[in-house]
Parts: sequence; C-alpha cells; structure tokens
Amino acid sequence: MDQQMIAGYAPSPMAVRMENHGSTMLKVAMASGQDLFARTGSMVAYEGYIQYEPNPPAVRQAAAEWITGEGAPVMKCSGDGILYLADYGADVVVVHLNNDYLSVNGTNILAFDAHLQWGVEKVKGVAKFAGQGLFNVTISGTGWIALTSRGNPVVVDCGTGEDATCVDPDALVAWTTGLKMKAKRSFKASALVGRGTGEAFQIAFSGQGFVVVQPSEDSTDRLRIRG
Amino acid sequence: MAREFQRGHKAKISDLTAGTDLYVGVLITAPGLTFDISCFGLDADERLSDDQYFIFFNQPQSPEGSIQQLGEQAGDTQSFRVTLDRIPAQIHRLSFTATIDGNGQMSQIGPGYIRLVAGGEEVARYPFNGSEFTTERAVMLGDIYRKDVWRFAAVGQGFDGGLDALLKNFGGEVAEEQPAAPAQTPSFAPPGGPAPGFAPPPAPAPVPPPAPAPAFGAPQAPTIPQQVAPVATSPGAPVAPPFGQPVQPPGAVSPPGVPEAVAPPGAPLFGQVPGQQPPGVPGQFPSPGGSPQVAQVPAQPGVQAALQPHRETPVTGRWGLQNHRLVRAQLQAGGPAVLARQGSMVLYQGKVDFSRKSTGILGRAVGNATGQELELMRCTGKGQVFLAEDASHLHPIELQGDAICVSAENVLAFDESLQFEVRRIEGHGIPGGALFTMQFSGTGTVVVKTHGTPVVLPVTPTTYADSNAIVAWSAASQVMLSSQVRLRRTAYPGHSGETVNLQFRGAPGNFIVVQPYEV
Repeated sequence: MDQQMIAGYAPSPMAVRMENHGSTMLKVAMASGQDLFARTGSMVAYEGYIQYEPNPPAVRQAAAEWITGEGAPVMKCSGDGILYLADYGADVVVVHLNNDYLSVNGTNILAFDAHLQWGVEKVKGVAKFAGQGLFNVTISGTGWIALTSRGNPVVVDCGTGEDATCVDPDALVAWTTGLKMKAKRSFKASALVGRGTGEAFQIAFSGQGFVVVQPSEDSTDRLRIRG
Repeated sequence: MAREFQRGHKAKISDLTAGTDLYVGVLITAPGLTFDISCFGLDADERLSDDQYFIFFNQPQSPEGSIQQLGEQAGDTQSFRVTLDRIPAQIHRLSFTATIDGNGQMSQIGPGYIRLVAGGEEVARYPFNGSEFTTERAVMLGDIYRKDVWRFAAVGQGFDGGLDALLKNFGGEVAEEQPAAPAQTPSFAPPGGPAPGFAPPPAPAPVPPPAPAPAFGAPQAPTIPQQVAPVATSPGAPVAPPFGQPVQPPGAVSPPGVPEAVAPPGAPLFGQVPGQQPPGVPGQFPSPGGSPQVAQVPAQPGVQAALQPHRETPVTGRWGLQNHRLVRAQLQAGGPAVLARQGSMVLYQGKVDFSRKSTGILGRAVGNATGQELELMRCTGKGQVFLAEDASHLHPIELQGDAICVSAENVLAFDESLQFEVRRIEGHGIPGGALFTMQFSGTGTVVVKTHGTPVVLPVTPTTYADSNAIVAWSAASQVMLSSQVRLRRTAYPGHSGETVNLQFRGAPGNFIVVQPYEV
C-alpha cells in the first residue's frame, strides 16, 4: 500500500507528558505511578498497557455533586503507554499548571493529572437560570490539564478595564484564580414586555486574572449525552 | 485574486503577474519556537556555489541587491524583496527555507504560508500547517526558479536534520565550504537562546525523505535518537539512560544506519512510529520501572505560557477578528450601534446595553419558514463585544458604497449604519418554501458566518449553487431558480437529491460565495 498520503499523520515522538496531535486530539505519555483522570468516553486510541477504572472512589469523594445516575463523568487511567483522547472534534488546549489555580467548566475538561488537587463546585447563582447545572472543576497544584474548546479559544484579560467582563456561561471555558464572579442578569423591563435579546444572563468577572472563552455557545456535553 | 498553491504546484511568474519586482512573505509560527527564514541562491546544479547568495538575517542582501531581506512586516514573519531581472545569470534558483531555532519540530507549527506579492497585490499563496509535517526541523517552503522563464513552485519539503541537513542538501560535495558561510556569523542563535552552535554534527546525516511512511523503514529510525536525545537530557527531565546505552552527548549520535543508533526493540521509547514496535509481542512495552523519556515540564511552564497563543489580540478599528471564528466589535459612547444575531455574544467588557431589535416581518417570516430564527439585538454603549456562533468561520466584509446579498442564515452582525432590505426568493423545492436574503448597501461592515472555508466563484453564464449552501453574492448578479425536470425522477425512486438549484447571471466581476455545508 502506498502510505505516502497518510504518512504525515504519524505521531511525533513525545517530548512532554501531554501534547496535541493536530488541534483536536490529545496525546498523553502514561507511566505507572502517574495516573490520569480523563472524561469517560474520551479515549480514541491507546498504545501499551493502560487500564481504565470508571467511577473511581477518589472521584466519588471529590465530586459527589457531579455524579448523576450515569456515574461519574471521569475515569481513572493508569498504566504505561501512549493514550489518545478527543472530544468530538473540539479544539484541545494543553495547560501546564506551575503551582497555579484554574477553574474549568465541567464540560470543557478533557483530562488532568490525578495528583493535582481538585474539586467540583456549582457556579453560584447561575445553575438556577441555565437549565443544565453549570459545574466547574477547580484544579490547583503542579501538573498537566487538557481543556477542550469548540473553535479556537480566546483568552481575555479582565484587569484592563474598570468595568467587569461579562461572559455568556455557555461560551465560558475556564478562568483563573483571584477573579470575583457573580451572576448578572441583563433583563430589562422592555425585555419582559417584548421578547428577550437572547442574552438573558451572564457571569461578570472582576479583578486581576483572565478568562478563556470559546467562539461557540454550544455547551452540550457530548461525551455525556452519548454515555 | 491570489492563486492558492498546493505542495508541488508550479507556475510561471509571468502568468501570475507582469511585474518582476516581487515581495515574498513567509508566515510561520509555533508557540514557544523561533524560526530562521532564509533564502538560498543556487546555481544551475542547485548548489550554493557562492555563499554571498545565502540571504539570512546576518547577510540581509545579495551583493547587487537583487535579493533583500526586509524583516517582519505586514503580518509576515519574514519577508524578502526579489528583483527578478537583476538576479545574476549564474543564479538559477532561489529557495526559501525555514528552520527551527532550538528544539522543536515542524508538526508544532500553526497555519502559515509563503506568498508572492506584486504591485501591492497578492498573486500567489502556498498555505501549509503543522499536520503536513512530522519531526522535521527545517523545511523548504517554495522556490523561485529559472526554467526558460522565472517560475514559482510550492515545495513544502522538510528535513529532519535542521539547518545543517539543509546546507548539506545545497552544499553537496563542497562540504569544506559550508562552514565558511556560517563562519561569518558568530552565533546563529538569538542571544539568550541555548546557542546550539552552527557546526554540522560530526556524523553526516543523510537527508531523509520528506514524509517518511509510517511503516518500519530504515530512513525513519535514525531520526528518533536525534529527536529524543536532546529532550531527555534537557534540564528537569528525568535522565534515563537512553536506548539502553551509556549516555552519550547529544551531538555524538552514531551515524545513522549503524545498528547501535537504532533503539533496541525493548527500550522504553515512546512516540515511535507504531509500525516500529514489533506488533503483538507483549512485554515489549516498558517494564514497570522504566521511566518514560518525556519531560514532566514543558519548555515554558505555567498557565500563562500555555495560554499565550490564545491571548486576545490587540486589534484596532471597529471590527477586529480575534481568530477566524471570533470577532470583536469596539463600541464608542454615542457612536453607531451594532446589530447582531441574538445569542451571539460570548463576552463583553465595558458598559454595553443589549436591546431587542425588531426585524419586523423578517424575523418571524424567516423563523416560520425555515425554523431558523433571525432575531437581532442592538448593542450600544462603550466597550468591546465579542461575537461568535457555533464556531463557524467569520468574515467581516467592509462595504464602501457597494452592495451585497447575504443569505439571512449567514448574517452574524452588521453596522446599524448600513441599509438593508429583505428579499425573498421563492421557489418550489426550496426547503421552507423560500430563501430569505438580506441586501446590504451603504458604508459599514457586515460579518458573514460560514461553516467551513467558503469558496468564491465568479459569475459565469453557467454558475449554479445549492440554495442551502449559498452564503452571499454580489448584489448586481441576478438569481433565478433552475430545476432539473426529469421524467425518471417521478418514475423511479431514488433521485440525486439535487433537483433545485439557484442559477446566477451577471456581468463579469460578479461573484458568489458558497460554503461547504448544507444546512
């Protein structure tokens, strides 16, 4: 078989623990003792000996709120080899935390190192407007995280203007520590009389830090829908 | 209009432009990497016989000035001015190349291009991105060469060995001369860099094929030690004895082809081309104690470094694309408002008010007819509004007194200063019974969204488009419905599904825009 056409898609040698393969696939170098939490159902391929544990006890403790009847949305991966993960063609962004703190929308997380400190919280004031509860995963420590974004993400600095930065919750991917957030409604009397603008509420961020947004308001959890 | 080249395409420059004074721009970027972009002036044997024609940042022009390096400008990482009729007769080929300065590989690069600009107008462009490359560290992007007349070729050929392999390729037998060219350059790396030195490695590296097949093959194997060894010995990485051999200095990789340089099959080497693993042999995967040869820390750790490539870009002007899927509108207090599709706001900063804009009959009509709402909102105030929808590609079109028709489903936002009227194209067979379009005229900007990269076609006597895929067309062209009526369609089940099309007619100069997506 002439393999010239597909030769360009062979994986490149791993240089660091997490890397992009193309813009939408994540490649993780797994080693024993360095476990990984990944979204359940996000594995597309692996080489080597990797085991997957759904509903790991650690998740049940840390993310009790997040778990629904279908089980926890993350699985624990351990073993040696190379693991390939993807989320329905969403762009993947690899972030290395260097004793940092990041808060990520639950549907936008793809994988993270198991040794990071993490927890799940409900975004205050927002869940009751957005039909689906908005969960975010707070991660801190030193290690690797992979985020997904529908379309190229953009990082906006919140500290530049005197006004708050208001984000559509469906487009929100992640934000850094030190930001004050509150739910903001842009309802007006006129909106109640006529019809709304489609922008009923936002999350307002203020303080020093930055938010990551995706150019899409598709926040459906594709991995979870399919199960 | 610029002609798009693909790898291997060639064209006479006289077919592209009548000019001989060319601007050659190269865009190549990758997070955390710097590139040296240079031009090799080669003789008829494709050798760099005169190193005065190696144009790079330390030698920014050739002796007679026919090739000049201009530096970063106009969105290009590096640019050159080439005056074809002044190039001396012995120079037959100008090869434009990019090499990675330091560690890295070409698969990491983002979308880039090499383009030719003549008389202020782009005439040719060869786009490329990281998926076309793997572990290459140098790439020949394009050539301007003399074959009876001057021609341009999109090359896109990579070299695993980096700049030294490239020099070797051009230098061939005259290995003695090669160190001479860089000898004029004390250091090829920018200050502060790891200063890898410019000397070719002690072992001559053969030039591997540009795109090695993923099967087990001898040419690919020697490149792996070269790639992995420097990484494994970089600071912070666990120093594992690579390849089961005593640790060697990175430069002392044995000559390729010598068996010792190839990793023994059981070595815990990740990232190999899969075909190189002896398939189906358990236990060949790393023993539990073997640490993988990957660095635990990237070149630039931290959240800030990781997200740097995605930072908000400081754009000036009222409409600025942040990337090709997100647009930023700058609003001034008391200035003109922006009308945008409802729900398209992803983020705003400043004091911005959103109010519902009545579209009269349009919104309801479109909504009823197609199930797609066209409801607009009016954004006023002072600040920045970021607009996007469904990660579709966005194209701001600036109108200066001209007019364009846009399918209502493809309008994202526009300046309120534009006049618009709604047109309805009715026809049997169009889903929903009619196609709603908005004709914009006046001065201002319309942001059009498309699913995927659109194609712009000139209107000819036989230009047809699917009513679902059409995005926009110049307002002067006339639209009519054409249907293929065949008896067979009613007689047999299973027709082509392409029975009703839009036909466009117009004077030369009109165009239509079609997206690769049917709603």
